[in-house]
Amino acid sequence: MTSPSASSRKALSKIACNRLQKELMEWQVNPPAGFKHKVTDNLQRWIIEVNGAPGTLYADEMYQLQVDFPEHYPMEAPQVVFIPPAPAHPHIYSNGHICLDILYDSWSPAMTVSSICISILSMLSSSTVKQRPVDNDRYVKNCKNGRSPKETRWWFHDDKV
Amino acid sequence: MQKSTATAFENSSSSGNGGNDAGDFECNICFELAQDPIVTLCGHLYCWPCLYRWLRLHSQSHECPVCKALIQEEKLVPLYGRGRTSTDPRSKPVPGVEIPRRPAGQRPETAPPPESNTFPNSGFGLMGGLFPGATASFGNFTMSAGFGGFIPSLLSFQFHGFPGPTAFGTTPNYQYGYPPAYHGANVQNAAHPSQGQADNNLKFMFLLVGFLVFLYLFG
Repeated sequence: MTSPSASSRKALSKIACNRLQKELMEWQVNPPAGFKHKVTDNLQRWIIEVNGAPGTLYADEMYQLQVDFPEHYPMEAPQVVFIPPAPAHPHIYSNGHICLDILYDSWSPAMTVSSICISILSMLSSSTVKQRPVDNDRYVKNCKNGRSPKETRWWFHDDKV
Repeated sequence: MQKSTATAFENSSSSGNGGNDAGDFECNICFELAQDPIVTLCGHLYCWPCLYRWLRLHSQSHECPVCKALIQEEKLVPLYGRGRTSTDPRSKPVPGVEIPRRPAGQRPETAPPPESNTFPNSGFGLMGGLFPGATASFGNFTMSAGFGGFIPSLLSFQFHGFPGPTAFGTTPNYQYGYPPAYHGANVQNAAHPSQGQADNNLKFMFLLVGFLVFLYLFG
């Protein structure tokens, strides 16, 4: 746990560790198209490069996702944020927080990092405007002291983008 | 013992990574070979401890993690393979969480025995031995009088052997004899007391007919 914010988190449970190792192995064999896992020795925090899909607003753009796993993964969802600069998108705040139900209320332990990545790319690809959420400034100010998006009470209202 | 199962487990799970069919038996939550395997009605496989912890401790709804179908715990189906019959409770330790026993399978009744010995053998043995030609019609009579439930194999044979149920339709008690053939032992027991009288009458009639034919042939 070299990074400062990961050190405050509890270490992965044995089950979480085993599952993440399996996911990582499967990722190496069959990574989701458009994503690249940046190799580190930290199983609890993955850094993933995202390439905007061709033919979408984000084509030829590259962003970075930071995925932090809780002690009881996969019973609890990982924390997934864009490392700023985050893509301009109606559901992505400028601090990198993503308003996506599967990362919070609709998480299921059958989901994987890979399936999350595909959901995020799909969310980007279906966007028609490069625009921040309307409450971006207020929300980002509220999160100033490094609050996790998992503590946010999200309101999921838009199933189009 | 503990050690050997652990290595076997690791072998099979690591071979599962190659994408071969061991993955068919991996838990959808921990991605390991399912332990205390349990299947939902929607067909998704889990370790019982994994599913239990998800449904009881983490999930807000009772949904299948894979397909979100509603899960009723009493309708989960355990998988009993050969091998280990009970799991070592230490195999998946979760501090502070007591995982109850895996739900048991629902066991339908066993198939009814192929041949029933509810009948006293003497009556039939005598009839069959003496008058082979008469047995078929007597068989019909027996069934129509309500004994189908006691001799299901005979009944099914005759249903297939005859043109259709109408073959029996003329006898008044046909409806009575029909349903028990498809039920198990309980029905048989329940039906038994009420048929005691019919049983005796029938036995008497068989003996009488047998006696008359005997007289006719040898008299």
